[in-house]
Amino acid sequence: MKANGKTGDYRQRTSKMAWIFVTPAVILLSVFTIFPMIASLIMGFWDVDIFLAGAKFIGFGNFKEALRDDRFLNSIWVTIKFTLIEVPTQMLTGLLLAALITRNSISNKLFRGIYFMPIICSATAVGIMWRMFLNSQIGLFTHFLEQFGLRNLNFLNSTTLTFYVIVFMSVWKTFGISTIILVSAMQNVSADLYEAADLDGCSKVKQFFAITLPLIKPTVVFVLMTRLIGSLQVFDLIFTTTGGGPNFTTESMVTYIYTRAFSTSTRLGYASALSEFLFALILVITVILYGKMYMKENT
Amino acid sequence: MLKSKSVQIYNRFLRGLVFLFLTAVALGILIPVIWMILCAFKPQTQIIGYPPRFFPESFTLENFTSVFKRIKLAGYLRNSVIYALGTTIPSLFVNSLAGYAFARMEFKGKNVLFILTLATMMIPFQVIMVPLFLGVYNLGLYDTYAGLILPKIASAVSIFMMRAAFAPLPVELEEAARIDGVSEFGIYWRIMLPQVKPALITLAILGINNAWNDLLWPLLVTSSTQMRTLTNGLALFVGENTIQYGASFAGAFISIIPMLFVYLFGQKYFVQGTATTGLK
Repeated sequence: MKANGKTGDYRQRTSKMAWIFVTPAVILLSVFTIFPMIASLIMGFWDVDIFLAGAKFIGFGNFKEALRDDRFLNSIWVTIKFTLIEVPTQMLTGLLLAALITRNSISNKLFRGIYFMPIICSATAVGIMWRMFLNSQIGLFTHFLEQFGLRNLNFLNSTTLTFYVIVFMSVWKTFGISTIILVSAMQNVSADLYEAADLDGCSKVKQFFAITLPLIKPTVVFVLMTRLIGSLQVFDLIFTTTGGGPNFTTESMVTYIYTRAFSTSTRLGYASALSEFLFALILVITVILYGKMYMKENT
Repeated sequence: MLKSKSVQIYNRFLRGLVFLFLTAVALGILIPVIWMILCAFKPQTQIIGYPPRFFPESFTLENFTSVFKRIKLAGYLRNSVIYALGTTIPSLFVNSLAGYAFARMEFKGKNVLFILTLATMMIPFQVIMVPLFLGVYNLGLYDTYAGLILPKIASAVSIFMMRAAFAPLPVELEEAARIDGVSEFGIYWRIMLPQVKPALITLAILGINNAWNDLLWPLLVTSSTQMRTLTNGLALFVGENTIQYGASFAGAFISIIPMLFVYLFGQKYFVQGTATTGLK
């Protein structure tokens, strides 16, 4: 206890140093994340353009307008439909592939390496590649389908087909993430459990559902959550392939917000209000999923 | 005995089927990528010639010279390098410093700050991009490197990753250094930081990849051709010149080469980082 004064002094010194250590990060996060978040909540109630001149408070005007904006409502529908198809497809693909390549053999490592490759490529490169591969004149795939009598398929300019092409491209580009994360979760499941199940004559498929799946559930929920949030913000692949067309059938919420704020007009207040809808959607889904997980853990 | 043999054959058959399936998925990834790379070396006549072929009949580099001439690809490349390194190098320092303080130091307000940092993880970039743009514009940073780089340095995910890396290190390390009279910063910089090299490499690789492939922020905050990065410069070029097939192939190929190399040498770190952060 006699060293109390000294440690107190030392404590104070490190406390001050700790503050200096966190300050750069705290300042940057405040200025470039927290402050814009607060600003976006305020901006939704204003009519603002880039120059801030003539900014006008209009109450719920932007929000009311959004609910009557057919193009915005359409973009919500496109985003939700995209998420509802893309995420389950990707999760099932990821689970299946992860289960098949869990073992650390040379060929499995090679497969993992290949499956992960699209993730490191930019959406621009992937977009260009698929635009060309599916191009109705020069595309290799379109030509391949012609051999089977499937002609005049306009993959990137069809009001029915193009949406699903975007879904496919998105799964193609990102399923490696779910696969890799699930593989590492499955590798952490104790081998003893499988050995015991083998002795009981339990089939591999049954083992997957009875042992693997329940044990990796937290990881599945984690992947599900990040993929859901990611899907709701889909923009890059759409921007580099269709730009939202044809006839707005692939225009997601972020694509429309981008258009309103930066492309055909600069209505930043309105775009902020639209962003709030996106934020609300993401928040609701996150809360529901967390809530479900929490309740399950407590029963 | 007989039965077990038929079971064996059945199992081998199943394994073969699985292998075929896995190979088919792999080909589904490789074929379009390799086709794109091969097309980058084809003369325009072969690209548009009917029927389209997989392998080129002759090789040419004219697409590469054309893409450098037609669009300022060299400038885009330079900007992408500046953006990637300009965000990653300071981010390693800033985020590891904060992660270190959160993991190993006691200070007033630690919990509040920690929760605040946690909360920023919940804020999607797409939701704040409009006010962020407005702020950067009115700070006079529009179309500058500072405007491009500054908002992307601090990241809650990285702070947490670094915190997790620092937390398990033995306390004897810092105590010994403290007795030797090493300053607090010296302990972080010379003693602790070298212990978390794998986490730093993971962070660096993910950071470089994120910035290199980032489309949205550079698209918003740059406007002149001198400031465009590779992703958005290329996307805008292809959007406006739909028939410049050869140049588009070459540009897309050039844009993925650096990341392919990073992936080749740092696959382990890519996978680790993805498993902990979930990526985007």
